[in-house]
Amino acid sequence: MEKYDLAHATVREMLTEMKDISEIMVDLAYASIMFDSEEIAEEVKNLEEDMEELSKNIRIKAMLSARTHKDANKLSSLLEVAAASRRISNAAGDIVKLIECEVDKRPFLTFILREAEEKIKRLNLTEGSDMVGRRIGDLGVESETGMRIIAIKRGKRWIYDPEEETKLKAGDTLIVRGTDDGYEVLRAYANGEETWPVYPEEEAEED
Amino acid sequence: MDDLDEMLLELKDTSELMIDLAYSSLLYNNKEIAEEVVLMEEMLDELANDIQRQAIERVVQDRDEGKAFTVIKLAAAVEEISDAAMQIAMVTIRDDEPHPVIRLSIKDADTIITLAEVKQGSDLIGRSLGKMRLASQSGMWIVAVKRGRKYLYGPDKNAVLELGDVVISRGPPDAEKYFQDLCAGEERLEEP
Repeated sequence: MEKYDLAHATVREMLTEMKDISEIMVDLAYASIMFDSEEIAEEVKNLEEDMEELSKNIRIKAMLSARTHKDANKLSSLLEVAAASRRISNAAGDIVKLIECEVDKRPFLTFILREAEEKIKRLNLTEGSDMVGRRIGDLGVESETGMRIIAIKRGKRWIYDPEEETKLKAGDTLIVRGTDDGYEVLRAYANGEETWPVYPEEEAEED
Repeated sequence: MDDLDEMLLELKDTSELMIDLAYSSLLYNNKEIAEEVVLMEEMLDELANDIQRQAIERVVQDRDEGKAFTVIKLAAAVEEISDAAMQIAMVTIRDDEPHPVIRLSIKDADTIITLAEVKQGSDLIGRSLGKMRLASQSGMWIVAVKRGRKYLYGPDKNAVLELGDVVISRGPPDAEKYFQDLCAGEERLEEP
């Protein structure tokens, strides 16, 4: 997750960030329950705090930039979208709190999440995969496979909501979200069974 | 999976689709997509009520208050998410032209979501998704199919599309037009 210098961030940057955070938080919240991971739950709580900060700053920035009644009118809609993103993030925070409920009362949730249409799964990136050493954005993981990488576990470290620029490394554990079919496609690339498709125009660009 | 589990799953899937649709209604300033979110919200409210009621009935029967507690909490959180999606959709419905910055903020995503109706003469009618290899042919993944008032989430390889289905799919922006034309019967499917 990219950190902006909030004092200098534009309304646009803040709103993009809020939208992204809200979506990733919901995914991470469910992931924390599925993998019974307090680490992921902790990250959701951190993101909730970031969201609060952003939410306050975007309001201030919007107020300062309104010059006319028309401006104010349009900006109020924008703030409404920002408020909705924050609401989603609060709901994700509530989901994470379920992890604190007694463990033996909870496994049915894991069971349900396994059946969901878009599932959250793990996969390992092996040495032989040609995804290794390349950037997520350059590969176009989401448009190629329909799978979104929501987090990467690298050794003991977690990278949440990796950037387009993030390079994949052998041994990474990817937490991904998408359909079963998409998962099978991505898994074949990740364990080196299949080579990542290259399109003619991309080759030309790289030269 | 029992009834209650199935309902919870539907609740979760619906709420996620609602967020996707709500943001894309803003991106395209598309009131039709926004109205769809409003319909889903009504459906989801009913579903959430049924879930909470059933959970309470279970406590009376099985005395498993732990599960009921979790179910009710989760249903409430998901309802909150769907209310937020509705709040976003209402901006699209209310404003003639949303603030340009909103569109710019949402545009950054690398995949988009689109709605298309399957019309008379479309190659997609009557054949299974797996047979057509629709995802690899068109670049768009079908997220859900709306048939009458019902939504089918994540149709599998054996699912067959019918005339009048509204297909909700996700993929790269440049694949959208071909997919919509396929549904409308204006573009043919390449035979494998």
